Amino acid sequence: MSHNQEGAAWSILGYLISGPLFWGGVGFGLDSWLGTGFLLPSGVIVGMGASLYLVWLRFGREA
Amino acid sequence: MRSVTNLRSAGEGFVPPGAKDFVLPPIFDSIPWLTKPILLVALSVILVSVFFILSSRKAAMVPSKLQFAGEGVYGFIRNGMAKDVIGPEFMRFVPFLFTLFTFVLVNNWFAIVPMLQFPTFSRVGFAYALALITYVVYHSVGVKKQGLFGYIKGIAFMPGVPKPIYLLLTPIEIATFFIVRPFTLGLRLFANMFAGHLLLLVFFLGGEHLLQGVIGLKIVSPFAFIAGIGLTFFEFMVQCLQAYIFTLLSALYIAGSLADEH
Repeated sequence: MSHNQEGAAWSILGYLISGPLFWGGVGFGLDSWLGTGFLLPSGVIVGMGASLYLVWLRFGREA
Repeated sequence: MRSVTNLRSAGEGFVPPGAKDFVLPPIFDSIPWLTKPILLVALSVILVSVFFILSSRKAAMVPSKLQFAGEGVYGFIRNGMAKDVIGPEFMRFVPFLFTLFTFVLVNNWFAIVPMLQFPTFSRVGFAYALALITYVVYHSVGVKKQGLFGYIKGIAFMPGVPKPIYLLLTPIEIATFFIVRPFTLGLRLFANMFAGHLLLLVFFLGGEHLLQGVIGLKIVSPFAFIAGIGLTFFEFMVQCLQAYIFTLLSALYIAGSLADEH
């Protein structure tokens, strides 16, 4: 159904934004706390991976 | 870039339109909150109400043109959107979605209505007020349907995932449902209206400025106006699309809250 595909597209966008945002934010916080520099990029990458996994769980499994 | 500045018209330089053009002064100095966007919102409520009261008052088996138009919009939201997206319980949400769609649509159209020419939702507060309403509606629907605990659990824990993975995924789900969704919902409407209005301002004010320049600039000025008219039609499309998207996403979020498993 076209409506639900449209909905899926917007939901996926939401997940792809919030993953890197959240885990990147955690990385940023840890970076400024511990004085390191590698945790923000690692957090963004972990968040992206987790987002993609979540998208697959929600929309890719039954296909 | 250099050659462009050399072609500058006589008189003072062109002041490009910007965010300052969206800050409108109060209409009466003594009432600071009464600005043009506020009046436009009030006008849109009157227009939408009058249109649908007139179109439904003398409802007949053989519909008049007005009734046909009113029912067309209603049917589009009810059957084309609510029924498809929400499912069996859709009827409860038709009034909300229908009001949302017509309200956003008329306010967006104000951007290209002569004399009015200001999209209400290019002021960010109006867009977020609407997003907040949708936010409250879809969360309260979910809590009512599944209970507070069940609703949160449904959002935060996907079934069929090994337990340690929840540590990674649950924060993303929570952030998506409670922060990213309302944020993007309001932002999408606001940014589209803001950018559209700015685009039209650039072409029409720019064209007018070219007209005041030397003869070489006067000749190209019609092209700016023609492009501006073309973009007005494009903006009309964007306005309809944004009203549609806003309503569709509201319906989808409600549908998500109603479903037991996301």
